[in-house]
Amino acid sequence: MELDSLREAFDRVVEKRALSSTKVQEAIDQIVTEIEQAISRMQMMNTDYMGSCDHSSIMAELKAKLNEMVPLNQLEGCQKELNAALSKYLKLLEKSFNPDISKAYRNVDFEACTINNIIANHFYRQGLFDLGDSFVHECGESDGTYLKLPFQEMYGILEAMQARNLEPALSWASKNHDQLMQNSSMLELKLHQLQFVEILTKESRDEAFKYARTHFAPFVSLYQAEIQRLMACLLWADRLDKSPYAEFMSSTHWDKLAEELIHQFCSILGQSSDSPLNVAISAGFQGLPTLLKLTTVMAAKKQEWQAMKQLPVPIDIGPEFQYHSVFVCPVLREQSSDENPPMLMPCGHAVSKQSIMKLSKSSSRPFKCPYCPSEAVASQCKQLRF
Amino acid sequence: MEMAIDTPSPSPSSASPAPSAAAGRQTRAAESVRLEHQLVRVPLEALRATARTNHRLAEKEIAAVLSSASAAPGDNGAAAAVDHLTSLVSRLHGLKRKMEEGARAEELQVQRCRARLDRLAAASAGDDGEWEDMRLKRILVDYMLRMSYYDTAAKLAETSGIQDLVDIDVFLDAKRVIDSLQNKEIAPALAWCAENKSRLKKSKSKLEFLLRLQEFVELVRAKNSLQAIAYGRKYLAPWASTHMKELQRVFATLVFRSTTNCVPYKVLFELNQWDSLVDQFKQEFYKLYGMTLEPLLNIYLQAGLTALKTPFCFEGNCPKEDPLSLDGFRKLAEPLPFSKQHHSKLVCHITKELMDTENPPLVLPNGYVYSTKALDEMAKKNEGKITCPRTGEVYNYTELVKAYIS
Repeated sequence: MELDSLREAFDRVVEKRALSSTKVQEAIDQIVTEIEQAISRMQMMNTDYMGSCDHSSIMAELKAKLNEMVPLNQLEGCQKELNAALSKYLKLLEKSFNPDISKAYRNVDFEACTINNIIANHFYRQGLFDLGDSFVHECGESDGTYLKLPFQEMYGILEAMQARNLEPALSWASKNHDQLMQNSSMLELKLHQLQFVEILTKESRDEAFKYARTHFAPFVSLYQAEIQRLMACLLWADRLDKSPYAEFMSSTHWDKLAEELIHQFCSILGQSSDSPLNVAISAGFQGLPTLLKLTTVMAAKKQEWQAMKQLPVPIDIGPEFQYHSVFVCPVLREQSSDENPPMLMPCGHAVSKQSIMKLSKSSSRPFKCPYCPSEAVASQCKQLRF
Repeated sequence: MEMAIDTPSPSPSSASPAPSAAAGRQTRAAESVRLEHQLVRVPLEALRATARTNHRLAEKEIAAVLSSASAAPGDNGAAAAVDHLTSLVSRLHGLKRKMEEGARAEELQVQRCRARLDRLAAASAGDDGEWEDMRLKRILVDYMLRMSYYDTAAKLAETSGIQDLVDIDVFLDAKRVIDSLQNKEIAPALAWCAENKSRLKKSKSKLEFLLRLQEFVELVRAKNSLQAIAYGRKYLAPWASTHMKELQRVFATLVFRSTTNCVPYKVLFELNQWDSLVDQFKQEFYKLYGMTLEPLLNIYLQAGLTALKTPFCFEGNCPKEDPLSLDGFRKLAEPLPFSKQHHSKLVCHITKELMDTENPPLVLPNGYVYSTKALDEMAKKNEGKITCPRTGEVYNYTELVKAYIS
């Protein structure tokens, strides 16, 4: 994208606009001056002579002068220049951008109420509760609110953490102890660790020791090494910042833990930690350019875009959007399925079951791997599960 | 079916994906910026419209003053002439004030156009997360404005500081027309048509014709047949050359009246005609400002869901990170085509990461496949033992074999 040339073209528009605007002002001023002159001459005349015979000649003079100025032509010229600059810039925009991004749009029932519920959920899960409420009120859909309460709890915990208050986080973690363990998350221990370091630096060694005894105990069997390091901190109680364990005091622990908390909270709630709307729209931005090219090609070949069941070509989107394993048989160039699963040959290469049937002529005859010199028998091949 | 779009030549020996992944990300980012036509176009159209209105006003007023100055009364005495000229001067002062106001409005729009260009510059230089976040917010505001959720749209724009990047004013202008049509008033819509006459004519818009038809129908409904005929002569007749059929049908309502049960004429009296006028107006309004006819959100959502849609999304074990694991998105994706892959893309069940030459897939004796990274870690923690997370079978790390996926 040539942003610089866009800026240049736009600067010309701005320049011409300013010029045209001053020209209008000048023209008005000129006319005003001429008329005011005429007025003052008439008034002078009134006092000098007693007659009124000459005011019509002054009027005629004024008329002639105004005609001479042709203010309208001047304005017209400026406006033309402005229009020229504008249309040049517009043309550049058409060239630099994709002027019609709705070309690949399928005219299908895209229900507003479904979209509205998705948006309401998006606001709530981002912690934008006021916006969510306002949106739900305006669109009149109430199904989008089921995430509001759980996410209010989560953002409450995070807010408390921001204020260095771990109580809500700890109580949530202990309530969900079993599930956190199942996810093999160290969140609960890490929270206790933060609390322990807080007590050690702000209160006393004894208090910290007491805290450690009650709260670290359940984790000893799993995280022995971690806990040993933490207990060693007790030796450096009043000068932890100068100890080998100074990094325990770093504030990055708080940020990281907040992230981990979001992750675990969403996971236990059965939600992904990224907003699904965010994910879908980002994928859309990455995928749309290819879809637009595809519609152009298909239109040229007179192929049907609106009814096709599967895209004819892959869409290049980032690996972060790959949620499912797709195996494409390199021989048949087809995606595998339950009927035609991927198979591993003894040499380590993988092809689909149908390919193996073809290669081995449906029998137990040995056949050559399409990718290396080694031979295989169908019965030696193993079905793969990703 | 093969097509010459983005299909790298298939080579069984998988090439190293690392450098091309970064390059791919960059080209994708650059391509997606090219989609932002509406962002730069709409404020420019607004500027163009304001400049045109200002120019027209100046032209009209100056012309009026000039002709009035030259046609000044000649024989009513000097005093009358002075009065006349003074009134012209004050008229010009009024015009000047209006022009100053207009110039300020134009400057505001210039600033808005510039803010959009600056925004695009931020896309290539800087924080991807922030750019994407703001982009989604812009799209949401666009959606809400089109759906007439003005309050939330304004709130979202304000709280995220993106007022210069969204077109609330433009939509509020349109809102006046929409509101009046919903109140069954035609005048503001007709005024809008007059303001944009030349451009509507260029795009062969028949909005004005439809508005006139509705007004005619309303006269018939009120049993003002004579007035209706006069109205039709004046405002409908000019459209006869291009829209004869519709014209005839509407004139026939004079015979049938509003209580008719004859279907072709009955529909003309139905109240949802007004809703379709609103729709028609919106379409013309979007076109005039260079906007897409569908909300941006819908367009991107469709593209995204098409790209994400695979048959696996609809299975029970679809991971929750995939939007298509949710009912709402599944419903929206239903009429869309499936995406397609030409090459295998394998995702490790444990780490959710892509398996490639850097992190190749390993096969357990039971046929289940996981990434080297995940299994190495598991082996390290469990003294060389591997437990298949899906079947619970336990193996030695030495039993694993590497799979070559092309």
